[in-house]
Amino acid sequence: MKRNRLISILNNRGIIEAISLSLTIILWELVSNFIVRNPGKLPSPYSILLAFCDIWEIIPLDIGISLLHFGIGIGAGAAMGIIVGMLMGWFRIVDRIMDPMVEILRPIPPLAWVPFAILWGGLTHYAAGFIVFIGAFFPILINTYTGFREVDKTYIDAARVLGCREEWKLIKFIALPFSLPFIATGIRIGMGVGWMCVVAAELFGVSKSGLGYRLFQVFWPLHMIDKLILYMIILGLVALLLDRLFRYFVEEKLFKWKRGIVIAK
Amino acid sequence: MKKFVSVLLTLILISGIITVCGASEIKTLRIGYQPSTHQIAEMTAMEKGWWTRDLAKFGVENITDTEFSSGPPEMTAMMAGELDVAYVGTAPPITAIDKGLDAKIVASVNTNGSALVLSPGLAANYTSPADLKGLKIATFPQGSIQDTILKKWLKDNGLDPGRDVHIIGAGPGEAITEIMAGVVDGVFLPAPSPTIIEMADAGKTVVYSGEMFPNHACCCLLVSGRLIREHPELVKQIIRTHINATRYNNEHKEEAAEIYARKVRGTDVEKVKESIKRWDGAWVYDPHIEINSTLVYAKVDYEMGYTNKLLTEEDLFDTSLYDEVMGIAPAPGTVSPTPTPEPTPQPTPGFTSLLVIAALLVYIVLRRFKI
Amino acid sequence: MNHKLEVRNVTKAYISEEGEIKALEDINLDVKPGEFLCIIGPSGCGKTTLLRMIAGLEYPTSGEIILDGKEVKGPSSDRGMVFQEFSLFPWRTVLKNVEFGLQMRNIKSKERHAIAERYIELVGLRGFEKHYPYELSGGMKQRVAIARALATEPSILLMDEPFGSVDAQTRNILQEELLQIWKRTKKTIIFVTHSVDEAVYLADRVVVMSARPGRIVECIDIDIERPRKRTSVEANVIREQLLRKLITEHKKVGLI
Repeated sequence: MKRNRLISILNNRGIIEAISLSLTIILWELVSNFIVRNPGKLPSPYSILLAFCDIWEIIPLDIGISLLHFGIGIGAGAAMGIIVGMLMGWFRIVDRIMDPMVEILRPIPPLAWVPFAILWGGLTHYAAGFIVFIGAFFPILINTYTGFREVDKTYIDAARVLGCREEWKLIKFIALPFSLPFIATGIRIGMGVGWMCVVAAELFGVSKSGLGYRLFQVFWPLHMIDKLILYMIILGLVALLLDRLFRYFVEEKLFKWKRGIVIAK
Repeated sequence: MKKFVSVLLTLILISGIITVCGASEIKTLRIGYQPSTHQIAEMTAMEKGWWTRDLAKFGVENITDTEFSSGPPEMTAMMAGELDVAYVGTAPPITAIDKGLDAKIVASVNTNGSALVLSPGLAANYTSPADLKGLKIATFPQGSIQDTILKKWLKDNGLDPGRDVHIIGAGPGEAITEIMAGVVDGVFLPAPSPTIIEMADAGKTVVYSGEMFPNHACCCLLVSGRLIREHPELVKQIIRTHINATRYNNEHKEEAAEIYARKVRGTDVEKVKESIKRWDGAWVYDPHIEINSTLVYAKVDYEMGYTNKLLTEEDLFDTSLYDEVMGIAPAPGTVSPTPTPEPTPQPTPGFTSLLVIAALLVYIVLRRFKI
Repeated sequence: MNHKLEVRNVTKAYISEEGEIKALEDINLDVKPGEFLCIIGPSGCGKTTLLRMIAGLEYPTSGEIILDGKEVKGPSSDRGMVFQEFSLFPWRTVLKNVEFGLQMRNIKSKERHAIAERYIELVGLRGFEKHYPYELSGGMKQRVAIARALATEPSILLMDEPFGSVDAQTRNILQEELLQIWKRTKKTIIFVTHSVDEAVYLADRVVVMSARPGRIVECIDIDIERPRKRTSVEANVIREQLLRKLITEHKKVGLI
């Protein structure tokens, strides 16, 4: 009897997850205090909590600056990614012209772009935004492109037969609404990659604050490992929050109709 | 129950054995250094084989040296246990020792020797520190000598290093690239970088570090605490070799430049020679002369929140070995041989078994509930 | 008499790796106003291609297609078309789908709304205006497609196997409803299908096409009075006739 009750409690949402998380933290605390015993290598969760209490005042500023870099990059990435993706997806000739450049540039890791960004953009917020842009642009481009390519011919035929003749009208009324879920997926992926690029972007000191800046320009040279790990955790949490917010506002609300689509190919 | 006890005892035994068997022999000596003319002593001793020759009688078979772009990354490596000896500024060890590095400064390497270089246009109009307001200056990362001296000097001249000047941490290579590309307005770097920039017409020196802080300590010889405690004779020989190399360089400055150019690939030997002519630094070896300025760095670091406590001479220096080498009687109140620090991390019997007990308890609880 | 639609000497050929493929050869067809015409034929015979050419989605290689005395040169909403499936715009509600053609004509919002409502009622879907296609059954979706095609009041309605994707019962119901709509709107309808039963139930006239290259093999008038019984003797006779014709055509291409 006891076993059944235990199982039904465990099946409640979040119980097993909470237990797992708590056990991990406890295990970490034990390992760092009794096995590693070197706060320079593995600070304990408690010391990270203390570090948080120590510097919580600058955290909002750093998050704010990093979000600024993130915003610049995502904004530019979405604008350009959607436009280029749309043109490449809809017009074969544009695809053929742009494809070689895209295929060569796309695999270059954003971190490798950092020196280039600094040389051309100086140590400014825009250079940082550029690195985020590099991370976000290609996923958005490719997903937009796919969306425009996947538009069912029947929709186009139906539209034409209903009097929608001009190319731009077909794009506006048919291809674009159809592609919006693809674009949303692209933006979501782009946001994930872009946020990871924020640290790379801030590595070289483009600004006087920011999560990546403080991690690499302050905590690392000063051997403040507990604060360093705290910032790692913050980076992860912000990414999680951004993703969940996006999914909630954009995907849940705007794309209910996607559920019904079966793309018959 | 019997089984449980015997398993526990076996574990305690094993962990006990592991603790006792800590290796004590030094077969390989690992040295860290930076690509700066401040540290040519290390390079001379290496190139001429003096390290190998002098340390062989202590059983050292192999000597390696690793280049670091600046002090903070060098300290990170030493904290990770990858270096035994470091040629480094006296400031990086302050933050490292504060965070648990077991090491001490046993000799000095150089004083002064850094310079603030501004791009040509800005240099021409430079009259006083106030002209630096709103500029971007690249220097070594936080915790380094350059960073500490620059910030102290700015504060002394009424400027707020955080707000009035945008200070960026970088290695010498990046910083030179940045000033040449116009990405930063100036750099504050140790020799030979300032001369390299000047000879490329990418900037002009406006202030020497010796003007900012006269006779300030720069590089030193930092040795791990374990080496000092367990092999003091070896450390004394390291000091002796360092003294010889330093004296040699002082008498053969042209050759020193050539040694540097061979060691740090891609450097133009003419530029190095010119740098040695132009710099305001000196190659030294007496640790005592560095104590005062280093304590000033410790104070600056403590005030800026870089360290948790204000470090003292005892925390940072061990001059006893140098004194023995030079036959100096220890002055009253000088630092005694390095005391044994907190035990370094090793799995000890008590705590391994604690974990095992915890795991067993969880197991018992689960069995109890028949899962 | 004035024909609604005239297809004159239409041929359609493609160039592929194997050389020139003739999809349709020398099609001649006249359609009277208000007529319900069915086209049947084996797979690949080009009946869909023919319909698409009438719609203006494709162009004949030679020959002309004339509607209301004017040559057809590209798609427009005076030729309405209902496709077999996946033609409703899934991101638009039922109402907005039906309004689409009117929107393309720049008709103002209030007016569009009213017209669309009327046709939604005509196909029996009142109350579903705010629904999305994914919420509708197959039969309902096709009804919306019909309403959408009719909303622009086309001169002729083209239907390409519109009931091919729904189950048999729904199919029968939709056929009856289509006939009701046809009676009320008096549209000229060209209906392509695979199903002989369907053709016999719906059409005034049935055109049988040959296998590729598609040619008109036979035209049969169906004089049976409406409302028709699916299993009446006369229906069966015609059904026999058509089936035999079709089987012959299938055998020719080795499809059987």
